[in-house]
Amino acid sequence: MAGLTATTARRAAIGSRRLPRLSPYLFIAPFFVVFAAFGVYPLMYALRLSFTRWRGAGEATWVGVGNYVYLLTNPDFWASLGNSAVMWLLIVPIQVVAGLGAAVLLANARLRLRGLFRVAFIAPFVTPLVAMAQVWIVVFDEDYGLVNHVLGLVGLPAVGWLTSTAWAKPTLALLFLWKTTGFAIIILLAGLQAVPGAVYEAASIDGASRWRQFWSLTVPLVRRSIAFLVVVQTLAVFQMFAEPYVVTEGGPYGSTTTAGLYLYEHISASDLGTGAANSFLLVLLVFGLSLGAVRLLRPKEEVS
Amino acid sequence: MKQARPGPVQYAVLVLLAIAFLYPIWWALSSSLKPATEIITSPLSVGAVTLDNYRAMFADVPIGTGFVNTALVLAVKGAMTMVFCPLAGYAFAKYTFPGKNALFGVVMLTLMLPTLVLIIPLLLEMSALGWVNTYQALILPGSVDAFSIFWMRQVIAAIPDELLDAGRVDGASEFGVFYRVVIPVIRPGLVALAVLTTMNIYNDFVWPVVAVNDTEHQTLQVVLSTLAQNVTGNRVGADFATVWGELLAAGSIAMLPLLVIFILLQRHFISGILAGSVKG
Repeated sequence: MAGLTATTARRAAIGSRRLPRLSPYLFIAPFFVVFAAFGVYPLMYALRLSFTRWRGAGEATWVGVGNYVYLLTNPDFWASLGNSAVMWLLIVPIQVVAGLGAAVLLANARLRLRGLFRVAFIAPFVTPLVAMAQVWIVVFDEDYGLVNHVLGLVGLPAVGWLTSTAWAKPTLALLFLWKTTGFAIIILLAGLQAVPGAVYEAASIDGASRWRQFWSLTVPLVRRSIAFLVVVQTLAVFQMFAEPYVVTEGGPYGSTTTAGLYLYEHISASDLGTGAANSFLLVLLVFGLSLGAVRLLRPKEEVS
Repeated sequence: MKQARPGPVQYAVLVLLAIAFLYPIWWALSSSLKPATEIITSPLSVGAVTLDNYRAMFADVPIGTGFVNTALVLAVKGAMTMVFCPLAGYAFAKYTFPGKNALFGVVMLTLMLPTLVLIIPLLLEMSALGWVNTYQALILPGSVDAFSIFWMRQVIAAIPDELLDAGRVDGASEFGVFYRVVIPVIRPGLVALAVLTTMNIYNDFVWPVVAVNDTEHQTLQVVLSTLAQNVTGNRVGADFATVWGELLAAGSIAMLPLLVIFILLQRHFISGILAGSVKG
């Protein structure tokens, strides 16, 4: 009898949950208030702004697609995208390969000190980017930096890590890699650990070599994690801002002016209409790239 | 790959990697405690310990203000995230209501929005409101973020409905069920959310550097970046070493709080990072 009452009560509770009520709307309201005020409204405003010439004061002049045409025919805009593309090439492939290698080593159940390694790898991810960017300035300084000091000890000439157009990009890419590869390792490790051990046992019985196992089993099975990583890091690289802003200020000769920093330069120049147009072009590009990455890395059976 | 015991090569690779990841942090911390001139003349040595760099840095840079402002933003913005995101996640996980799927779709769509696209429009909105150089400009945008809602929805969806119904039978209000039944059950998830939120707000840079340009409201990261620009902007001069010492002192003191939190709560931290990969 008591059980029946409980069941009835539960049914009543479930039934009432199906009715439209106020509480769920109240619970989600804060997000939508904040999003409307600081997301939708500014986006709409920016869209209109991107069709005007406005320097932060006075009347805005309607210029139609003028800002977009200006950017798309401007070599500096393309140079900023080119710089970001080079950064992407210097970062993402290395991070996926190195991250996967380290994750495979960490996934070995018989590895000792695994917790310690994991902590060491993630520590850079926790440090403030601006603080580490400062350390990079000091460590890679051409005249007094640690790296050139060590090169000098072994008789090698000093390198203009942050002052030559050839080295500035790789040096910033190294900062990005140093800071986020631990994150990549954790993501890939989780993907690997979701792979059932039985799969490997079956492969061993079939006599597949370790490399064969890696390429034909491990890589396809963590494809989803790799795809996630590539999308997240593509977004991050094309929005890269703090690294060049703090370490090189976009130089030397604009060689580290990334897409993100170029966008910011419109703000400092009070050229806000162009800046808004640049934002939307960048969003389109980033969306396109992420979609492309997802498509390329989607597991084969899901491709229709 | 559970068969073979890792050999010396594997250990060597991992140890080298660990050194590469940890050395820059250690170098910055240890160099900040060296006499400034030695940072330049003998960057590899570890010798005399001095607090001179810290003294000079505190005298030159408003880093105290930076810490106070960051703490303030962290407290208010962090609290908003910790209250409103689990609440919204609960509504999306455990209620059926008209428009739910569409509304959740909007939440997911905002996840795809790159931060950069909002910078200029938000800045204009702030100046229209007269909010440039205010705390509300630092706090309100992004204070109830889509990712945390998505994550909390996943966490709360795992709670059995029976538990919630039992709470309702006991006569708890809708908010009472959330507060007395849901919150205690998801405590580990909340700790992970707190750790990740703290890291994100503490390290946030792009928005604070745009929204604030007076010393009074600068967050810690903005204070650090102005110091760095003084260095790159004024390379020559006898006090070059002094500035480097200050730079490393400021960087070290800024990274310590998070490193300590990370070492104490690493398990929660890692589960926080992993929660993010679920959305892939």
